[in-house]
Amino acid sequence: MRHIQQLWLVVLCLSLLSPGIAREPVTLPKGILQLAPYSAPSMELKDLDDEPYNLKEDNGVWVFVHFWASWCGPCREEMPAIQNMANTLQAEGLKLAMINTAEDEDTVFSFLSAHAPEVRPLMDRDGQVTEKWQPRGLPATYLVDPTGQVRYQALGGRAWDSPPYLAFLRRLLQNQ
Amino acid sequence: MANYHSLSTLATFLAVRNQESHICLLLYLGKLTLSSTLMSLHKLIYLSLAIFLSITLAGVSNAATAPQYDSPELAVGLIPRTPQQIAAFYEARGFNKPMIKKLKQQCFITVWIHNKSSRVIWLDLAQWRFSNADGVITRPDRRYWKAVWNEMQIPLAHQSTFRWTLLPESLDFQPDEREGGNIVLPRNDKPLMIQATFPTGADKSGMPITINFNSIQCAKDP
Repeated sequence: MRHIQQLWLVVLCLSLLSPGIAREPVTLPKGILQLAPYSAPSMELKDLDDEPYNLKEDNGVWVFVHFWASWCGPCREEMPAIQNMANTLQAEGLKLAMINTAEDEDTVFSFLSAHAPEVRPLMDRDGQVTEKWQPRGLPATYLVDPTGQVRYQALGGRAWDSPPYLAFLRRLLQNQ
Repeated sequence: MANYHSLSTLATFLAVRNQESHICLLLYLGKLTLSSTLMSLHKLIYLSLAIFLSITLAGVSNAATAPQYDSPELAVGLIPRTPQQIAAFYEARGFNKPMIKKLKQQCFITVWIHNKSSRVIWLDLAQWRFSNADGVITRPDRRYWKAVWNEMQIPLAHQSTFRWTLLPESLDFQPDEREGGNIVLPRNDKPLMIQATFPTGADKSGMPITINFNSIQCAKDP
């Protein structure tokens, strides 16, 4: 009888704690803005090998949507951190959409060879997809949730491979 | 002779990229040492002195032409760009000659802004006033440039790149946010005055911050 009472006590404690855990807000690292969710603008692009990509195909997972250009200094600084982060978190379910804004293949190829050789670039050749997303500037990063809603935006370049940002992204992946 | 030519190139480069001057100097001195067997010692000393002066003058030149504002809430910097700098940047992006020619005729000023406060500070270029001794200067906005590029049948990719190098027309700078870009004015030799007004608060209801930059010169080619 005593054991049953103890068991009930444990169950009671767990039931009281679990909603709190589920509702625990995601801690935002520096420079990350939580947005009022809105539907991600459409994105149909091709990569350097002419393989098509459609953001809709990534429904069901978090997508790291990033706009960049080789001429932008903060983009150059940030790109290696993005590759390091991707090397870790892609295996945990994060998808990346790395959109180059309005540059040609040679420029993109030579830039990525030097800064992030494993990144798969999507070519926004005429810049019109970037226009639709209306980033604050370049670089720009959005986090799109598994239902296709834009939920977070990063201000400028971020140290994505540092512990606060990795923990933040992991938290999103674990809650999906 | 090659080294004398390199020196003038280096001096120009330093005037443009003062921050990297130490690296350039080291590289240049390395090259100089290798070729010093062909020169007398006094020529080497003169050249080193010339490099030192070019660095010093480049620093003075940049300091004089890069006005800044800094307060506990907001930092703003202006960097006038020479036509050569503008041409080099856009040529490297594949812009065609008519586009480059048009851009070289303008006065480019790179602006950087850092919101150091814990509240929203607004950039609203419509509230900036540009003038010189002749009066008010009208700043051609994005609609103007779009019309010009369309008239010149400039590819959309180059139009897009040009737009992304401009300072946004309006942006709610979040705490600690930094952004930058160019403002483009008609080129003029007379000193410019810029009155930059920044509304504050998420709904712009806070006390605006007004900064006056006086005697700004459009940068000329050396």
